[in-house]
Amino acid sequence: MVEVRLERVSKRFGRVVAVNEVSLVFEDGRFTVLLGPSGSGKSTLLYLIAGIYKPTSGRIFFGDRDVTELPPKERNVGLVFQNYALYPHMTVYDNIAFPLRLRGVPEPEIDSRVQEVAKLLRIEELLDRYPGQLSGGQQQRVALARALVKRPAVLLLDEPLSNLDALLRLSIRAELRKLQQSLGITAIHVTHDQAEAMSMADKIVVIDRGRVQQVGPPEEVYERPRNLFVATFIGSPPSNTLPGSVESDGGYPVVRVAGSTYRPGEEEARVVEEAGLDRVVVAFRPEHARLLEAPPDEGFDGLSLEGEVYLVEPLGKENIVTLTVAGLPVKTVTPPEQRPGPGEKLYIAVPRPRVMLFDPDTGLNLWSLAEQLAAARRPD
Amino acid sequence: MSLVSRLRGLRPRPPAQRGAWDVETIRRGRLSLVLAIVLGLAGLPLILLYSMLVLSSFADRMLSGPDIFEARYSLDNWRLLFEGRLAPASGQTYTTRDILMIIANTFIVALGVTVVVVFVSVLAGYAFSRMRFWGRTRLMEFLILLHAFPGVALIIAVYAVYVWSLRFVPRDWFVPYTVLYTVLARAALEIPMSIWLMKGFFDKIPWEVEWSALVDGASRFTVWRKIMLPLVRPGIAALAIFAFLAGWEDLIYVHVFLYPHVKTLATYIEEVLGTGTETAYLPVVAAAGTLYLIPTIVFFVATQRLLLQALSGGVKA
Ligand SMILES: Nc1ncnc2c1ncn2[C@@H]1O[C@H](COP(=O)(O)OP(=O)(O)OP(=O)(O)O)[C@@H](O)[C@H]1O
Ligand SMILES: [Mg+2]
Repeated sequence: MVEVRLERVSKRFGRVVAVNEVSLVFEDGRFTVLLGPSGSGKSTLLYLIAGIYKPTSGRIFFGDRDVTELPPKERNVGLVFQNYALYPHMTVYDNIAFPLRLRGVPEPEIDSRVQEVAKLLRIEELLDRYPGQLSGGQQQRVALARALVKRPAVLLLDEPLSNLDALLRLSIRAELRKLQQSLGITAIHVTHDQAEAMSMADKIVVIDRGRVQQVGPPEEVYERPRNLFVATFIGSPPSNTLPGSVESDGGYPVVRVAGSTYRPGEEEARVVEEAGLDRVVVAFRPEHARLLEAPPDEGFDGLSLEGEVYLVEPLGKENIVTLTVAGLPVKTVTPPEQRPGPGEKLYIAVPRPRVMLFDPDTGLNLWSLAEQLAAARRPD
Repeated sequence: MSLVSRLRGLRPRPPAQRGAWDVETIRRGRLSLVLAIVLGLAGLPLILLYSMLVLSSFADRMLSGPDIFEARYSLDNWRLLFEGRLAPASGQTYTTRDILMIIANTFIVALGVTVVVVFVSVLAGYAFSRMRFWGRTRLMEFLILLHAFPGVALIIAVYAVYVWSLRFVPRDWFVPYTVLYTVLARAALEIPMSIWLMKGFFDKIPWEVEWSALVDGASRFTVWRKIMLPLVRPGIAALAIFAFLAGWEDLIYVHVFLYPHVKTLATYIEEVLGTGTETAYLPVVAAAGTLYLIPTIVFFVATQRLLLQALSGGVKA
């Protein structure tokens, strides 16, 4: 119902910079997922938007309204806390009714709205209980109900599904998404669960150490990680990274990596030369590598490596095979019927579009490095 | 289930699983049994003596042991006490005293102390727990230091201030002023510890609960009233009980500032024992003593669990 905009927002706690110069737009009515490791500042960012914390610097807008100085009650946000934060002395019913009572909603309407949201989250039988008598998952749903019942313009969710079992999580995920869409709420959702992020998000924001690493739709963040952090943080198992050195093959830059030679595409070759790189990091996703018995044909366009099988983890619908390539571990995902034995010598083939190259110093993907170089050139 | 295992609170299991007993539970069970016995033995003399006192208040003589079987019991002493007649046996001058007035005075002092202590500690405890202000930690340490001073050690200074302050008090207001002064001085002794206790209770409430209420649309004051206060209610109850008992039992401050123009149970018993031991009819004094003890007994029996909670540092949220 409203667009949330952060402009160079920072938050410090003494010497800790929890959120560092973050500029973001959360589009009206969209579902944005915040993804980042523990301690990266996700909760702090939500609290800033909710108005619990005041930013050390920067401004926050809800639409055209500057809310930087407004207290939480004037922002009309719903927030589900990581630890639920239910009111222990109130029944579930009173917990959910609390925000409505504060607004002076008449009791009959309160009752119908509480029942409605309780039904949605399947907690009708729990309404008479106290939070202390609920399981973690039940508490989470009550917290969600309390946030939804006031029909907030912005819904902030701090890992609200982490304590649910897999089945319930799937169904609540879908319900939540449907509800958010039908009400047109701007939702910002924090999660550690990548599958959740990929399936729910209109947009993913990857954050690390208080800084935004990449913003984009799920496919883009997955396919075109802006830097090494995103490449290795998103995906399960994470991307393989191998150090490579740049050499010249008749004037064309090639990369020596783990005993083989990789010939980068023209675009990338241009960036390597322009930036004068002599080392790069070669990365690819385990699910993009194929395992072959014999070296790929002459015509194969991409990265090919030789490795020895070290460990095979069967997961049912696929196997995760760990190989050692020139002493470094490399993971690949194979279909269930391909199940090599430890010690086997195999060839890893990664098609060119799936091979990612990074600058080891800045950690940037070469396409992103090119953008930065272009931006740096523009002023003069 | 055999009797032995039931007594030990253990469920029977096949012998093959003996090694799988929950070891810690058994140890703890035994430990608490030993503790209970030791404490019981240590408390026995006290319990016996107090029982004697209570029994004597119904008897025709002061009981000291085997004579509990010879004494005759009635409510006479209590009747005499409420009639204010302390020495009926001597047949001479009855010093009649208005015991109801004395009880009322004691209540006024005790309740006054309670109100002041609770009011100050709840506000200060909240501030110390939730607000950052200059000198906060220093002040907290200072409170501990204050608590370490026994009330007796402070009495001279408190008395000096009292005498000095009397200059500003009109003659007609003397009595209410002294009561007020006593209440404030006595409450001041309790306040440092009470603030700490209250801070502990507030500390137990997660910040997120408070924030959650703010996001739900409450003002900071509403959060305090609707969320924080109900959650620290057990703390407030414990605090109120301690403060009430302190005010009820106090002798020194009451004696210094209120005696003899306003008497409480403590100064009354002291007076009877101190000046009239020869003439006083001791079983009546025993009745007065029992009366004096009643709040303590009632509160401790009624609120054991609450006090344990309070002393172990607060409520589970
Ligand atoms: N009130 C505070 N005082 C001091 N430091 C804080 C405070 N709150 C957060 N921090 C610090 O700020 C950083 C970000 O914390 P935050 O809680 O936002 O992380 P998070 O991304 O939510 O992590 P998690 O996934 O574990 O919940 C951390 O380094 C944390 O220690
Ligand atoms: Mg967090």
